[in-house]
Amino acid sequence: MPRLEPVLILVSALFFGSAMADGKDPLVVATWGGAYEAVQREVLFAPFTERTGIPVETVAYNGGTAILDRDPPPDLVDMAMSESLAACAADRLQSIDDLALPPGSDGTPAKRDFIGGARHRCALTHTVYATVIAYDARAFSGQRPNRVADLFDTESFPGKRALRKTPADNMEWALLASGVPRQELYDLLSTPRGLELAFRRLGAIRDSIIWWEAGDEPVRLLKSGRAVMASGYNGRFFNARLDPESSIEIIWDGQIQEYQTWVVPAGAGRPEAARAFIRFATRTGPLTELAERLAYGPARHSAEAQVRRHPEAGIDMRPHIPTHAYNSANAIAKDIDWYSHTIDRIRERFDDWLQRSRDDAQ
Amino acid sequence: MNDTVEPAPPRRDPGDLLRRVSVIVLLGAVAGIVSAMLANGFVAAIGWLNDLLLISPRSRMMEERAWLVTLAIVAVPTAGGLVGGILHRFIPDRRPHSPADLIAAVQTREGRLPLRTGFLTGLSSLVSLGSGASVGQYGPLVHMGGTVGSGLARLFRAGTTSDNIAIACGVAAAISTVFHAPIAGILFAHEVVLRHFALRAFAPVAFASVLGHVTAQLIWPQPPLFQVAEAEVAHLWEFGLFVVLGVASAGVAVAYMSALLRMARLAGRMKVPAVLRPAMAGLGLGLAALWMPDILGMGSETLRLAFIEGAFSHWELLLVLTLKLLATAWCLGMGFAGGVFSPALVIGSLFGALFGSLVGSLLGLDLSALVVYSVCGMVAVTAPVIGAPLTTVIIVFELTASYPLTIAALASVALANLVASRYFGRSLFDRQLTERGHDLSGGRSRAILRTHAISELLSEDYVTVESDATVRQARDAIVEAGSSEAYLVDARGYYAGTVHLHELFAAGEREPAQRWCDANALSMREDETVWEAMNAMRHFVGEGVAVLDADGRLVGTVYESDLINAYLELLEQMRKEEHATA
Repeated sequence: MPRLEPVLILVSALFFGSAMADGKDPLVVATWGGAYEAVQREVLFAPFTERTGIPVETVAYNGGTAILDRDPPPDLVDMAMSESLAACAADRLQSIDDLALPPGSDGTPAKRDFIGGARHRCALTHTVYATVIAYDARAFSGQRPNRVADLFDTESFPGKRALRKTPADNMEWALLASGVPRQELYDLLSTPRGLELAFRRLGAIRDSIIWWEAGDEPVRLLKSGRAVMASGYNGRFFNARLDPESSIEIIWDGQIQEYQTWVVPAGAGRPEAARAFIRFATRTGPLTELAERLAYGPARHSAEAQVRRHPEAGIDMRPHIPTHAYNSANAIAKDIDWYSHTIDRIRERFDDWLQRSRDDAQ
Repeated sequence: MNDTVEPAPPRRDPGDLLRRVSVIVLLGAVAGIVSAMLANGFVAAIGWLNDLLLISPRSRMMEERAWLVTLAIVAVPTAGGLVGGILHRFIPDRRPHSPADLIAAVQTREGRLPLRTGFLTGLSSLVSLGSGASVGQYGPLVHMGGTVGSGLARLFRAGTTSDNIAIACGVAAAISTVFHAPIAGILFAHEVVLRHFALRAFAPVAFASVLGHVTAQLIWPQPPLFQVAEAEVAHLWEFGLFVVLGVASAGVAVAYMSALLRMARLAGRMKVPAVLRPAMAGLGLGLAALWMPDILGMGSETLRLAFIEGAFSHWELLLVLTLKLLATAWCLGMGFAGGVFSPALVIGSLFGALFGSLVGSLLGLDLSALVVYSVCGMVAVTAPVIGAPLTTVIIVFELTASYPLTIAALASVALANLVASRYFGRSLFDRQLTERGHDLSGGRSRAILRTHAISELLSEDYVTVESDATVRQARDAIVEAGSSEAYLVDARGYYAGTVHLHELFAAGEREPAQRWCDANALSMREDETVWEAMNAMRHFVGEGVAVLDADGRLVGTVYESDLINAYLELLEQMRKEEHATA
């Protein structure tokens, strides 16, 4: 199989080379910028262009479905699964469930090689990222925090906490810290009592909370010492830890896993090229290389098995990816179906609560 | 029944033994697998209906149209009640059956749970649970499992003893499946259904339980009832509190069971037709749930929240537990099909949480996590209701795999059943059976003797004489029949008395025989039970007792020897069932 792959790609390259009226028309990909995009360019975009002759252009994307309103829409979006589902339900994405995906590098058929729930009618998962809690080791000389409950224990672990200004993640952790088993979080968050309990738990530490919005803030807040604990994306924390001076440590307990997917917007001009890109980008090889650079979990089992060392830092990457058995023992699978139906109302309550907290403080 | 009872000759044929053992084990295995699949399907169907009909908190939360959620909370239980009420009209005795009926069938060796009743009861329970009635799912599951076993026993053409064992197998598999607890399944079948421990029954029941568990894990696994994050007993002296909690919980259990019985009696006196009562119950429940949604349905979320510190205030705990108790009595009493176990779990865990948090805050003590008290209360309220202390403790063990939690629960349950049985009875099921005329408190033999009417033992071998006959006529008739007594019967067949030959000899031939009637002669109604007959005949001297129909007409006689034979035969059947190894 590995030998056949370049041939297949060559064939498809020839096909597209002739099928596209103008081979130099770029494929427009909406993605997340920064180090993340740099790695994507190195591992996905450049090789794709090399093999197909189709250049890749990127547009800045920070999440949400507003990107689909652009005219014309981008050809591809690197979208979180929860948003993909919502966009798909609103008929704003093209169906890609007929996409024939190559088997894993070990020969496992794609159907079994991809992790559970990776494939959806309009979206194909490429990586699993986690929202985790990290802390500044300098702040805790004695006992260090090691579980979610410690985030809410300002007595044993005093100091500011940097949390994302959103109900998601914080609600889950609040209930987890109250002793709710992770499998029951969303059932209990569905009850008025459970929701109330989560807000009360958050309220108990509200004086210690600094809210962040952009993904790079938590690292900066920890580095500068303005916060002693922070929630954030595991890849960002990993990146910060590559600096030998760094004192950031990750608490894997209660990490919240989410899927990141490729989607093709409805009305996008180059569906065939976009589909060829998705096939290309979700093979075992590129998924492994992404994981080794970004510390996100690959969506294929065959890729996870191949993850070894960071190409520059040389460290073993396995303990740093969220899906590794070391880290995932107490992981929370974000219930995106639940969120896709409830997020607006929960956000409303969350904003109310924030407003009230602010009023109380004054 | 009339044949003499000889102890069966010891069977030495190993082939025969092997055959019989394999049939019963195979029966158990099949019952286990079928029952487990049915149980899992049932639980999944309830979940699916709850989501579809906006009963589960999750579906209510996910539904964006608030008016629809409000409408569903009232309309769905009402509609469910209407469907249930109509379904019950097709059950022969017009009510859904429960584990009590199953226990009665096994304990009185009547065996044979009817498939039609089992199916309709299961269907109706699915409707009530699916539409959010405040009832339990385990009773219906147990009944369904038992019906499957009994049906298979008929298919295998097995006898009464095997039928009973097959019922136990189906029950064990159902419990094993839904609680993820194969050991508890075996225990429940013995503690509640069989009520004795025979090796012959153990093997197939164990097989059924384990196979049921394996099948359920393999096909369509369902999430466990609840999970416990972590729980340790902080101080050894808290075991004293667990025992006190257990005794207090027994009081809650008695209140719960009394409420259930009382509501059933109240509903029986209502002017509303039986077919509409469940719908009325659904309407009432829905309206109350608008204000307090915790009382809706089985209450899994309420149960889980009761484990969590700070989810309820003291007052809320008291309020929700009282309302849940009343809602369950209301729903079941008004005729919704369903069990009593799941609501007992909810009520018990709320009570345990109330006890733990009250003691903690009033005495200013630093206690173990609240979940320990919730679980203790849960077990100690539930065990007296179903009459199965060991089963409930083992369920906790198998569900949580937490040994400290199990031992704490054991401490609570230790006195709970004893106290509750002192004030109420062995279990709700036993009380329901007593009210229906099956008193199991005197042990099994009495219960069995009570299920057989003397009409089964009637003999037509007796002498009758017209009630206006002379002594001479009576004497001749008795002598001619080779008997020693005769019954006087009037022209319309009414019994008028008994005359004995030895007394007639002392009388004048032309005197009316009526004058020489035995003043102490016994007569019985044909629907009297063997147990009553045996008690009545304790001091009886004579050949037979006249048996009359409800109007007083003579229908036959019962000989003392037949009664004794019947008694011995029942004892022999029980001995075989309870003590044989194969």
